[in-house]
Amino acid sequence: MVIAGIFGLSALLFGIIPGFYILGGLVWIYALYNLLVFVRMGNLAHLVPTAYLIFLGFMLFLAPYFGQRTESDLGYRIAWFSGILVFGILMIFVTITKKVKWRGREIFELAAEPVDDTGDGYTPRPRPVGRVEFTQREILSFARFINSNLIAIAYVSPRKVTFMPVKMGDEFMQFLRLYRPNDESTWINFDFEGDVSVHISHKDYLDYREPLAFDKLCESLGQLFVNFAELHKKGEGVRIIDRLDAVGLSFFS
Amino acid sequence: MDFKTAAQLSFYLAKDYAEDIFRLLVNYQAVSASEVATRLNLHIKTAQDFLEGLAELGVLSKEEVFEKKRPYFHYVLDQDRLVIDIDLMQIKRQPTNDLLSQQIREKENAGARFSVARSDDYITSVTIWTGDTRNRQERKIKLTTPQGKFLYHLPFPKVEPLTVAQIMAKANVDENLAPEILDLVQLLEKFKVIEALPNQTDKS
Repeated sequence: MVIAGIFGLSALLFGIIPGFYILGGLVWIYALYNLLVFVRMGNLAHLVPTAYLIFLGFMLFLAPYFGQRTESDLGYRIAWFSGILVFGILMIFVTITKKVKWRGREIFELAAEPVDDTGDGYTPRPRPVGRVEFTQREILSFARFINSNLIAIAYVSPRKVTFMPVKMGDEFMQFLRLYRPNDESTWINFDFEGDVSVHISHKDYLDYREPLAFDKLCESLGQLFVNFAELHKKGEGVRIIDRLDAVGLSFFS
Repeated sequence: MDFKTAAQLSFYLAKDYAEDIFRLLVNYQAVSASEVATRLNLHIKTAQDFLEGLAELGVLSKEEVFEKKRPYFHYVLDQDRLVIDIDLMQIKRQPTNDLLSQQIREKENAGARFSVARSDDYITSVTIWTGDTRNRQERKIKLTTPQGKFLYHLPFPKVEPLTVAQIMAKANVDENLAPEILDLVQLLEKFKVIEALPNQTDKS
């Protein structure tokens, strides 16, 4: 809808050929974003939309030169068809397997599962959750796992690693923020001395339908990441993905 | 000497003309306000206020004189030395058992903003808004590291409160630092950021 709208508007304002160019440029910008996700997060699956969007942009740049029913036009059409077919299959695969899905909503659902009490009690203060016995190496390895599976964005600093869960729909803004997690974001902090602390943003807290007991929610979120880190330490990272998949949210939520 | 008396005395000593007036008081047997005023080229009210103030503090004594049309006062210096001696320990907040066993937690919807240190293990400042509409003002309170650690471990709103001593232990804050912690607790209670709850033993 948006793409069609941009194309229609630019074609109306500047003509059909600049319309294709503008659309192709926007598609390449989106491809660049996907490439950045691959580079920053180490999520291999993001190479699929990157390649698909580069192909799509390239075809859009060529589009004004075809359509004359010539021999070269046939080649263009075959390239379109085969490209859409191959990338379409790959895109469906990475979407259905949730390999390009940001897992923030699953994280919040899992954190809320053990919290039965309601009663609000929101505060913008972070909550210390406790101490864990992980080495710096283990925490950094866990951070790479969390990044590559889009469970959260891990920010590594000399003293700690901060995980910021990202919900689908928020990924553009949250990913492109280059500064550290702040008061307006939800984060889970593992420092290299073993202290774990949690902060839940007001916006994310209000996304819950019920005013869950805030203290318990923070503790549960922190504990969830501690459990994930323990599973990862034991080499059972796949169980983390299973738990996230078991929440049963759709591909795009 | 208490703080208030010392402050009043310091107020007079800080005047530009204080040394000149004391020079007259030391060298003259007794002086009146008008004598001081004409000698030092001051307004008579200025001289009178100064001498009256010192008389009230007991530095001078005054004696009513009736030799002219209207009675007036002569001021005589009563002390050879002025000593400002304040026992600062008298304003130290003593961490009594009552204060340390006070059960506290963060108040719900306190509306305060807490700034966290880069290391994320203590609070560096609390920002509070006071007043309404146009009178609304922001007040930022910078915290010492022990205060920041204490506040970081303060129980959230609506959860089981903890005593001040328990929170200090949790935050690993030394007992000797109790006075500055209690000062913060009192301040944040005043601004309704912290609420103190009656002890369980008090209820029963």
